[in-house]
Amino acid sequence: MSGVVCGALFLAVLSSPTVCRADENLLGYVAGAEVIPKGGWELYNITTMRNDKDKGYYRAFDNEIELEYGVSDRFNVFGGVELLSVDTRDLSIDGYLPGNENVGPELSGLELGGKLNLLRPAADNFGLSLRFALDYSWLDHHSGEDKDTASFEMDLIGQKYFLDGQLVWVGNLGLESTYADRAPIDDLPEGFDWPTDPEMELEIKTGTGLSYRFVPNWYAGAEAIYETEFETEVGQERWSVFAGPSLHYGSAKWWATLTYFPQITGGGEVFIDQTADLHLVEKTKEEVRLKIGINF
Amino acid sequence: MRRDPVLALWLAPCAALVAGPVAGTTYLTVEQAQAALFPGAQMTAHPVALTPAQVKAIEKASDTRVREKTLKVWSASNGGWFYVDQVIGKHELITYALALDAAGAVRGIEILDYRETYGGEVRDPKWRAQFVGKKVGSPLKLDVDIMNLSGATLSSRNITVGVRRLLATHELVVGKP
Repeated sequence: MSGVVCGALFLAVLSSPTVCRADENLLGYVAGAEVIPKGGWELYNITTMRNDKDKGYYRAFDNEIELEYGVSDRFNVFGGVELLSVDTRDLSIDGYLPGNENVGPELSGLELGGKLNLLRPAADNFGLSLRFALDYSWLDHHSGEDKDTASFEMDLIGQKYFLDGQLVWVGNLGLESTYADRAPIDDLPEGFDWPTDPEMELEIKTGTGLSYRFVPNWYAGAEAIYETEFETEVGQERWSVFAGPSLHYGSAKWWATLTYFPQITGGGEVFIDQTADLHLVEKTKEEVRLKIGINF
Repeated sequence: MRRDPVLALWLAPCAALVAGPVAGTTYLTVEQAQAALFPGAQMTAHPVALTPAQVKAIEKASDTRVREKTLKVWSASNGGWFYVDQVIGKHELITYALALDAAGAVRGIEILDYRETYGGEVRDPKWRAQFVGKKVGSPLKLDVDIMNLSGATLSSRNITVGVRRLLATHELVVGKP
């Protein structure tokens, strides 16, 4: 049986790009404050499916493969590659989606970062960590078109154990600043706006989540994230609240987390013909994320 | 279909999920732990079911939760006591044995089952030796009188708290004249 597990995980690591957020992730989106100890290695594979913009067909996959190392018992570094695929038909959003597109999976970006643990959740009764990441990508996350993006993200991560660790609360507060520069497109539809002037964006993100171990190795959780983004020309460009359940399995050597994350409410920019009361220009109606981590 | 490769990527993780857990490690059986902590002694089982009032008193005295209301306890022919207990690790329950001398002080602990990613040092004799001589009233707190184990803070904390709880249990229930 262990051979089947190892084989499957090996295939997963080779084929499926993922993301990692330092240490075992009980939830899909809201991170925990723990770090891996000095000398420890962890390989993460995160796949996110973004699905449905209300009109036409839209489905995108973000994949990240990330490797993390424990420099000390308090500080981890990580680096990873990102892959993107976008498939959209019968949908056009002025300024964002020129039309039918079928891209990828293609290598789309790189990420480097670190996580500094300030307080340990079990030993200090409350966990607190600071996570920072530099990300560079060359494909537009929404359309799959050429777009250079450089961003710096900083997150404050809190974590609290209850019931001897059977119930875990996590909370995040993050700030991300982004520089983006889109390449021109030759065959744009008539009248379609595709700005190619560089722009700056500032995103604020806050999230909270609970995870409960209902039997050994298995956790059921729920989490919610509020995100809002401000842009140089339009001010508050968007806001959204996503919330949903997670199922987590963890063992000594590997773990996996599956999260369904629908958009509950949202606002800001909208596109013509949009009927849902959500932000669907940059976001989708739902996301599904699968994370896998391997310790070695 | 462009999506096929991506969907295929999901199959491997799903296969891993349904394949089940990796087999755990049992380091000692109860009998082996008894022999290690009370060499040559004859052990007699004394199963104890805690009453709600006793649970409340133990929780108050030890400042921790009593998860298991039935105690696994043995007396040793040389006057000591032997407990088998479980605490929550990061993924699975950790099974350990606690030996007390006739006066109710810790004689030693042994780890029976431990299946966590990090913290195998809980089996290190030096880490376990920190508990020897502890009595009711000892702090038994991580980073105070018991060393934290990197990467296994929850496990080391819960074992420490478990010993504190069993000492209170012994004084209030099992060892009570």
